[in-house]
Amino acid sequence: MKSKFIPLAIALVGILCFATSFIIPSSNSGELEVEIEKSAFIMPAVHRVYSNPDALNGKYHLFKAKITNKSNQTLEDVTVKYRIPDYIDWTELTVSGQMFPGQTLVIPCYPKFKDDITEKSTESIEKAQIEISWDGAEEDDIIEEEFSFKITNRNEYVYTGVKTEEISTWSDMYDNDALIACFVTPNDPVVKYYTQNLQEKMMKGEAASITRKPEDGVRFLANIYEATRKSHMVYSGTKGIPQSTEDIQSIVQQIRLPREVITGNTGLCIELSCLYASVLSAAGLDPIIYMVPGHAYPGFKMNGQYFAIEATSINGQGLGGIASAEEAFKKGNENLKEFMERAQSGDPRYTLVDIHAVNQQGVTAMDLKDNDFMRKKVDDIVASWSSEQPVQPKNETQPNRRPSNTEIIVPENSIKTSALSFAIPNGWQTMMRPVPQVPILTAQVVAPDQLTTVSIYDIPAASIEEAMQTIDQYMLNFGMQMQYQSNGNTISGQTQAQDGSTFNWVGKCLKSQNGIRVVAVGAPSYAYNQKTGIINQVFNSIR
Amino acid sequence: MKTIKIPLLALFLLNALFIFAQQSKQNINMKIDSIGNAKVTISMTMNASQWQQWNGSYGNNPSALKREIERGMPAFFVDDFKLDKDDMNRSFALSLNAYGACRIDKRGKWIMNTDQKDAQLTALTKHKYMLVSSPPEYGGSLQQIYTIELPEAAHQIKTDKDAFGKSTFEFKMDQPSGPFNYMRWSGVFLIVIGGAWFGKNAVTRK
Repeated sequence: MKSKFIPLAIALVGILCFATSFIIPSSNSGELEVEIEKSAFIMPAVHRVYSNPDALNGKYHLFKAKITNKSNQTLEDVTVKYRIPDYIDWTELTVSGQMFPGQTLVIPCYPKFKDDITEKSTESIEKAQIEISWDGAEEDDIIEEEFSFKITNRNEYVYTGVKTEEISTWSDMYDNDALIACFVTPNDPVVKYYTQNLQEKMMKGEAASITRKPEDGVRFLANIYEATRKSHMVYSGTKGIPQSTEDIQSIVQQIRLPREVITGNTGLCIELSCLYASVLSAAGLDPIIYMVPGHAYPGFKMNGQYFAIEATSINGQGLGGIASAEEAFKKGNENLKEFMERAQSGDPRYTLVDIHAVNQQGVTAMDLKDNDFMRKKVDDIVASWSSEQPVQPKNETQPNRRPSNTEIIVPENSIKTSALSFAIPNGWQTMMRPVPQVPILTAQVVAPDQLTTVSIYDIPAASIEEAMQTIDQYMLNFGMQMQYQSNGNTISGQTQAQDGSTFNWVGKCLKSQNGIRVVAVGAPSYAYNQKTGIINQVFNSIR
Repeated sequence: MKTIKIPLLALFLLNALFIFAQQSKQNINMKIDSIGNAKVTISMTMNASQWQQWNGSYGNNPSALKREIERGMPAFFVDDFKLDKDDMNRSFALSLNAYGACRIDKRGKWIMNTDQKDAQLTALTKHKYMLVSSPPEYGGSLQQIYTIELPEAAHQIKTDKDAFGKSTFEFKMDQPSGPFNYMRWSGVFLIVIGGAWFGKNAVTRK
């Protein structure tokens, strides 16, 4: 009896194991592994960026979930949804038809907040809830996760979202620079109303966006300054303090919106920059905000040239030193010159935000509703403008006349670095118009060894081909021949002299206001390989 | 709301891997496994100046490289970074795992987005495709050659466009064989042992 019982018992246990192996997997709760990477804070002003998966390459999201099927069973219709109580109702993020054992789903969440989030005036800690379910899942099987995060008030601008432990460079500390464009609000009805009044009552008409003439743009910029000066707008600080939010430590700046700067008649450098950028954009110009250590100032770009003004020169009676538009523009140009030099030498602290360029990358302004009270405030401000004449650019036919307080000089060719520029290495010698017989050769910069040379040509031509033909013609007049090939705006070639010596070069071309600018750097062919390092350095700095 | 986005191609346009103005070529190999994860290998050869510049920024600081790539690929979870440098030939090969590169849609089809409009995909073999891209962000100075290798089990492969006009791969793939089921095979083993023992005893008695 015993000899039959033991083998039968073993076989019975085997049958039980075999059968159970088919039953156990159907109850696989807890076998989905979930990993959440979350944002520590949400800025209401940036709500349109968070909702757009294409904005800045999807960099800004609320969370990112990694869900891995750790069971040995295929799950059907895996559904992931989330909600933020009081802000976003249950919203389905994805449904995966099947999820194989071992398969991973990566789900970034780009939350679509309602437009009224821009009315939020206090910060708060909120919770996000995530639910993961699948076909046939029991109530106990459904996975629920939650995490907390901060929603700042609409005026708060957090300079970086990079974790403190990961910060290693200046750009890490100011990782959110592009988001400043969300505080530039050209479509705000109050800003539009202000801009229209500026164009009509202050400037008595303007067409900078149509003529695309730098002097018209500068006139507009100066008139914004005059508008702020005449309305007795003053420079004043706002709260900007370091704050810690979980792993992130950043300076959090309270930024008054352009409409608040207009009606409050006061602003800090970054706020004035946003105001200028909003008005310039509303008028069809391309606004730029220059960011430098501890400061920001506004400007615009036109036909490849950059312009700037020192908006904070309004100061205020309490501070003294209220500057004229001319002085503010002069100061802006000095700032810009330094900016270009620093930026070209690779100083990461000198950056600019091209508002329309980042708008195109999905960084768009917040929604703001019209406000009658603010419009009335604008009317009061406009009334204060009527006392003086609008700012005019200086008439170039009267070069000897000293500009008055309401006139500014548009610098010739504006900033020299505008069309195509490059960083000149230390010790190199610059010669302006070195060959009078070749008027298109604007400048030449020669290395101390007299071998490596940078040539800057400004050719009145409509296309790169035409420009190169013009250079070739001049070369022929000197008995030299040129061969080149172009790839987009990059060109490379060889110039052969009568004595048989050859000069190898690489360069870049760009349309400038008066034609084509070509910047080429090279060395005699026998020294070219030896000088490749410095040639590449100069070439890479051409912008 | 569009929430799932796996822009495989554009995400590799990282400054960390491309910092040069001159014409450069980058090879990107993506091998998709049977559960939709990708093993990505990015390789590049540079000239002396480029090599010096890249080493100064990232080559000698792999953690900075890893961080830049993680930040530049927000739609992915990436890990298992491995950087192989060949100083003699001024080249590097970076490999990493990108999880969830493909997903299964509601109708049970595997989908992989390329994030490129009207991508010119060339079939090299039944499961291997090539795509040459010259991103406008770099003014045509960077040429990227992608090789996308789908799993052997993939069938009915076709290229299509998503709602935004971007090219996608669609294919079917059966469930890979599951992990070893100890309980099931233990049961089989015990049944065989028990049966054999019982049989042996029965024969011995006779």
